Amino acid sequence: MKIVLLFLSAALVNNFVLRYFLGICPFLGVTGRIESAVAMGFATTFVMTLTAAIIWFIDYFVLFPFHLFFLEYVAAILVIASLVQFLEMFIHKNSPTLYRALGIYLPLITTNCSIFFVALLIPLRGYNFIQSIIFGFGAGMGFTLVMFIMAGIREQLDFADVPKPLQGAPITLIIAGLLALAFMGFTGLISA
Amino acid sequence: MNLILISVATMGGLGALFAFILSIANVKFKIEEDPKIEKILEALPGANCGGCGHASCRNYAEEIVKGNASINACVVGGESIAQGIAKIMGVELKSTEKKIAFVHCRAHNGEKMKKADYEGIKKCSAADMILGADLACCYGCLGYGDCEDACLFDAITMVKGLPEIDIVKCTGCGSCVKACPRNLISLEILNRDVQYKIACASLDKGKKAREICLKSCIGCGICERICPFDACHMINGLPYIDERNCQGCGVCAQKCPRDVIVEIGMNE
Repeated sequence: MKIVLLFLSAALVNNFVLRYFLGICPFLGVTGRIESAVAMGFATTFVMTLTAAIIWFIDYFVLFPFHLFFLEYVAAILVIASLVQFLEMFIHKNSPTLYRALGIYLPLITTNCSIFFVALLIPLRGYNFIQSIIFGFGAGMGFTLVMFIMAGIREQLDFADVPKPLQGAPITLIIAGLLALAFMGFTGLISA
Repeated sequence: MNLILISVATMGGLGALFAFILSIANVKFKIEEDPKIEKILEALPGANCGGCGHASCRNYAEEIVKGNASINACVVGGESIAQGIAKIMGVELKSTEKKIAFVHCRAHNGEKMKKADYEGIKKCSAADMILGADLACCYGCLGYGDCEDACLFDAITMVKGLPEIDIVKCTGCGSCVKACPRNLISLEILNRDVQYKIACASLDKGKKAREICLKSCIGCGICERICPFDACHMINGLPYIDERNCQGCGVCAQKCPRDVIVEIGMNE
């Protein structure tokens, strides 16, 4: 039950994009079409989940026994960068179309702050191994969900008569704000 | 001192470990790519218009290298780019033809009758879905400029509800042909100085066509009768000019009572 709550908390209540405003770059950049948005969401979820697992091991078996708390950031960067490199090779080999659709945003997962946030929050909240993985996975799924919703809305938006000054980024940011308001409705569901 | 050593050792160790895993992955996921693809891609315009029949410039370059596509299929680049590709591929180039888009309607706002007021989405694709929205003619140009939006080369401007094509800028990529929901735009091969085309697509009977549009073909057939070279034929109530016989004399355009046969050419 606790696991489910943790998952829901990470995915909905404390959604990274709409609650903490992390990972805005792909949220605004890749949400033009549903397919690429969802692909980006799953790629991020993959990196997030693996980062959570690996960072837990590094934290509790390497850094903390040696009292190297100040190296957390460096270790997180190292892990995320390597994982993204790996993911990039994997996607390039297995799906060149997806590779081209994601373009620059794929290597930019490296600097996606939501993944870094996962890596830093795990020791801070004292999660165990299973909890860490669930937390990373939940956060990733929440990210994917928001990417999907946003891409769906923006696909419909192509047919809307948006006033000229609001076209493009402004209307997207307004939608993001409204979505964040809507997601506030989940706050009563669970507390953190 | 000890702390520094430990931190260097742990970070170095982790870095080496990840480097090792990545190097294995690099060998395992290695992709062999022909360097020609990259070279051809540089030679191509990079507009990704799809005029060659491939999804993107990159896709086209890959197909050329595989031998599945001809080197002169890029309509945008024309002869000069085809020559560049020919050099990369080491083959001889056959001559290419210049194609331009042509709109088969020439009724501006005011000349075409409206049958209703339209307050919906200002796009041809949307207007066409509800029986042509406000336009009385069910064949003619709706005038919301889907082709203008689709044009990647800024060659189309909407003038009084009708697209005007700049034949110098037009590359014949065919984006507008796909964008027009009424199939009013076609690609025409420019192989002579002067050519004549029918700028109406109306299949309505003469009386109705005359009533709803000032620039409509009424199917009178004068052009067919007057053509000295037997190049103009009426098919389904619309004239069709046979390029093989047409000598470009222009009698049909002069005699057309509805003024729907127009001249196109490079010498304008």
